[in-house]
Amino acid sequence: MNGPTISSEIVLDSASVEFDGRRALHDVTVRLDQRRIGVIGSNGSGKSTFARLLNGLVVATSGRVAVHGIDPARDGKKLRRDVGFVFSSPDAQIIMPTVAEDVAFSLRGSGLARDEVRERVSSVLAEFSLAEHADAPAHSLSGGQKQLLALAAILVKRPALIIADEPTASLDASNTKRIAAHLLDREHQLVLITHDMRLAARCDIVLWFDDARLVAVGEPATVIGDYERAHA
Amino acid sequence: MISLYRPGSSALHRMRAGLKILLFAAAALAIGVLATNPVAVGIAGLAVVAAYLVAGFGVTELVRQVLAARWVIVVMAVTQLVFLPAAVAATNTGRVTLVIVLAGLLTLTTRVPDMIDVVEWAARPLRRFGVDPASLSLVFAITITAIPVIAGFAAEIREAQRARGVLLAPHALVVPLLVMSLRYADDLGEAMVARGAD
Repeated sequence: MNGPTISSEIVLDSASVEFDGRRALHDVTVRLDQRRIGVIGSNGSGKSTFARLLNGLVVATSGRVAVHGIDPARDGKKLRRDVGFVFSSPDAQIIMPTVAEDVAFSLRGSGLARDEVRERVSSVLAEFSLAEHADAPAHSLSGGQKQLLALAAILVKRPALIIADEPTASLDASNTKRIAAHLLDREHQLVLITHDMRLAARCDIVLWFDDARLVAVGEPATVIGDYERAHA
Repeated sequence: MISLYRPGSSALHRMRAGLKILLFAAAALAIGVLATNPVAVGIAGLAVVAAYLVAGFGVTELVRQVLAARWVIVVMAVTQLVFLPAAVAATNTGRVTLVIVLAGLLTLTTRVPDMIDVVEWAARPLRRFGVDPASLSLVFAITITAIPVIAGFAAEIREAQRARGVLLAPHALVVPLLVMSLRYADDLGEAMVARGAD
């Protein structure tokens, strides 16, 4: 497998998830320590359930899950301090009214001094080309800018792991490129759920989900090739 | 859209949020109690104009705030004119308008996190009744954030109705608006947990 590896591991051991008797994820066993992990599959295949399982938004009905040595079901709150989650729609991720306030919200309870919070917020806004919108209402931004804001609000916490659930689903080519650069070209570990095979191809390993099952894990070129042939 | 903070260096911008909220509450109370005739409302109006000038916004912003509240003002004026003499209706409507634009000035000169801190501080005594001040202040912030989002949903639905040739269908607005708002609440709840606000 390509790419650098880190000691932090994501481990699923026969993990299954059911909602109201409907199976959303079935008997998934995998051990991942790659930095960039791509997840592909059709709509309703279990990708988003897998993503939510990793930070405790969804709890396994059976089996075991450990993310960086923490059980998300038991210590979800502790885990989420170090794990950022990017949703496909940025609108629901915006909690505070203005751009700078929303980024600063991520640092509430971090114990940082006010000046340091202000400095980190300014720095991340500048990095994401949002500095001139710092005091603008967050919901007045364009779709691409809102997704950049959502990502900035995650990255300001400097998380060890980012889980991104179709973060470029509604973006144009230029914004997709910018979001991808921020997600893929940094040091954090990344779990990227995507329908964009070009992004999946840039990962170190790719997981393919189908009908709530993990059907393939391996080199991006091989897994993506098999997936595309199956859906040709 | 609900008025939001505008950066500035005026005395009102620099004032501590808690003191400012107290002052504005006292001013609103004074308007309610003392401005009992059109002349007194006019004098209070001049004071409000002065407050906008001190804050560095000018009359244009004041007019914008009045226009933003125009439907509340119109409904209030019309309903009062039906039952009360014109001078009393004008006085009452004027008082409410002044309090609304004063509230606008408060949000224009105070950052939301500062107001949240005040709400959190003021809610501390409620802890003994099982109320979590931090959660209460978060609800306050989310309410401010959610207003333009839900207004956006309504605009989206109206646009879709127009595209399908429906000019005005209030009953057809309510159900999709409710569904979209509930879905938004669901997604927001999930995002809040993901962002450590649970």
